[in-house]
Amino acid sequence: MFILDSLLIGSLRFVLDKVVQAAEAEMQDDSALREQLLEAQMRLELGEITDEEFAETERDILAAIREIKRPQQGAISMSPTDKIAGVDIDTFES
Amino acid sequence: MKLIFYGGKGGVGKTTCASAFALATASPNKKPSDRMLIVSTDPAHSLGDAFGLRLSSAPRRIRRGLDAVELDARRAFARWLRENRRALGDILEHGTWLDATDVDTLLDLSFPGIDELVGLMEIERFARSGQYDVIVVDTAPTGHTLRLLAAPETVGVVAGVLDALQDEHRVIRDQLARVTRGPEAADRLIAALAAQATEIAERLRDRRRTSFRWVTLPEMMSVDESLDAFNALERAGLHVDEVVVNRLLPAARPCPLCDRRRAEEKKALGVIRRRLGGRRRLRLIPADVTEPRGVRRLAALGRVMTDGSRRLPHPPLTVARVPANSRQTKSVRPEALPAIRGASLIFFGGKGGVGKTTAAAATALRMARAAPERRILLLSTDPAHSLSDVLDAPASDEAAVIRRGPPNLRVREIDAPRALAAKRAGLEAALAEIASAIGQGAPGTGADRAAELMNLAPPGIDELFGIVSVIDARADYDAIVVDTAPTGHALRLLELPDAAREWVQALLRVLLKYRGLVRPGQLAQELVAVAKSIRELQALLRDGTQTRCITVTRAAETPRLETERLLKRLRQLRLTTPAVVVNALTVQPGTCVRCQTVAAAERRSLTALRRTLRRSGRRSGQCAIIQAPLVAPPPTGVVALERWGGRWQLELGS
Repeated sequence: MFILDSLLIGSLRFVLDKVVQAAEAEMQDDSALREQLLEAQMRLELGEITDEEFAETERDILAAIREIKRPQQGAISMSPTDKIAGVDIDTFES
Repeated sequence: MKLIFYGGKGGVGKTTCASAFALATASPNKKPSDRMLIVSTDPAHSLGDAFGLRLSSAPRRIRRGLDAVELDARRAFARWLRENRRALGDILEHGTWLDATDVDTLLDLSFPGIDELVGLMEIERFARSGQYDVIVVDTAPTGHTLRLLAAPETVGVVAGVLDALQDEHRVIRDQLARVTRGPEAADRLIAALAAQATEIAERLRDRRRTSFRWVTLPEMMSVDESLDAFNALERAGLHVDEVVVNRLLPAARPCPLCDRRRAEEKKALGVIRRRLGGRRRLRLIPADVTEPRGVRRLAALGRVMTDGSRRLPHPPLTVARVPANSRQTKSVRPEALPAIRGASLIFFGGKGGVGKTTAAAATALRMARAAPERRILLLSTDPAHSLSDVLDAPASDEAAVIRRGPPNLRVREIDAPRALAAKRAGLEAALAEIASAIGQGAPGTGADRAAELMNLAPPGIDELFGIVSVIDARADYDAIVVDTAPTGHALRLLELPDAAREWVQALLRVLLKYRGLVRPGQLAQELVAVAKSIRELQALLRDGTQTRCITVTRAAETPRLETERLLKRLRQLRLTTPAVVVNALTVQPGTCVRCQTVAAAERRSLTALRRTLRRSGRRSGQCAIIQAPLVAPPPTGVVALERWGGRWQLELGS
């Protein structure tokens, strides 16, 4: 039981860590999106895409960037000191 | 083999003096191999006009012992590229990540400054051919001659960049190749370029092999520009050994107009003797009544030049009746001209010495005065600036209000080498980024060597920064009046946006292609921004409601022929050419025979110009003729310029 718990919580912690990492990366760093936008601008100057196509891409990317910039609402932010279901992650030993 | 350069401000008679000298000294009696070649390096050639013969980039026999050629830099470069494409492509492929397709695209782009770069190489090619003993060079007006003379250093840097690119390949080859073979074609090309750069630079500085002759008019504007040029030449280690003072009015009976001009000439001649003379040979050439054109008249002038006599053997003047101004004209204020009104970008162009700067300055002053709420910029893009001389007030690279000028007018003379130095940090970062995008980015590769270009003033730089400053100034001014360099380089300036956009696009393509290797960064962002401004500028230039090109000319044959070609090219570039200013017309001739004869010749020339404009106007819309009067001394300073602008006449029905 104890092992099962630890496995469960351990994998839960692993999964959550990954989610938090990815989210944080996206949050703090919209560089991937900015690069996409720059690439679209480059293609527009080269005539590889039309003004309309660019406008559409730009709208999507800007919306995504805005989404990232929006202040986060609690749940997703997590640090190692956060607790899950009353269990202290850092102090939990299997 | 001796090289003789004829240099000077535009319109002083470089071509006339160079061709007259060549005709008088080329000896038809020498053995066939002992020959003289006269070369024109000005992209707006007038050598053929002077001889009255059609010339091309292949030497044409003018008479026994003398050939003439008008360089075609683009064609010469294309030929050079054909001969060296393989080797050059190899170097670029070895030293960068670029593949053959990328390299081909880059090599097919047009390079700014190619006229100067190739000009000297071509002269060197003729010099080495062993066919000629003497090569007389008829150069472009001052500013670009200075760039031409800096070309060997630029070629040296290019050789250094290629060498750095080839280096790694060379190391690998040396380590891997079991059998050591001779140098590759690429190595031979680099060595040849470097050797050529050194050889030309040495030849230019060797007084036994090269002679610089400076042509000036006995006018203060021309003398001021000569003083600046002499300093620049001396700094570059080049020595002027002869000063030719062209078109001195011969002594004659009293005449109010000619007497004023003679007084002005005397003053200028004093300055020339004191400041330019020294130990240099001073040649004084008397003015002819009309332009000396054609082999026979040029040869006669050449004899006067070389035997030191000051008399021209022309038939005695007879009193010619000045035909009345056949066209009705009305007084017009430059700022109210339909050709000017409503425009936000106005280029003044034309052959050297016709009075572009004077006309541009008078127009800008009056535009600013008439509309105090509009912000006007008067911008000079000619590397041999004369705005401050014409305005009689200091002007610099910082746009500033001038002494006694209207407060809403700012004046700027672009200093391209300074602008280049100011952008140095940014450009070095860009070069490094290009190097990391296309090359291995290891220290010592091409980028470091290419940065050396920033210590020079490479050819083409004036046009580049000319365009950049027009783009930059757009936001701050309601109207920009541009005083351009003489024809050839004004056209290069106006052609530049198209060429620059191709360059930017080629670089963007490369960055996109290799974005897996190097993420597009700062450089890509800047290139996108540059591409956008160029696109906007292209649209602006072709918008006739916004952009106008005013051509300035004189009522004489050579300027008329050049004006015809200039207008044709401007229209090919889809620019609007609503007016031609015919400057320095002898509206009120003095009382002497000379004045009367000159005025009569001008009238004939004006009629020919009208015919030309009518002919071309049928195809591309009306081009008004504006008559601007000759005043002695020429208008200098804010007050005189505004007054002179008030004396312009618009030909009715033109």
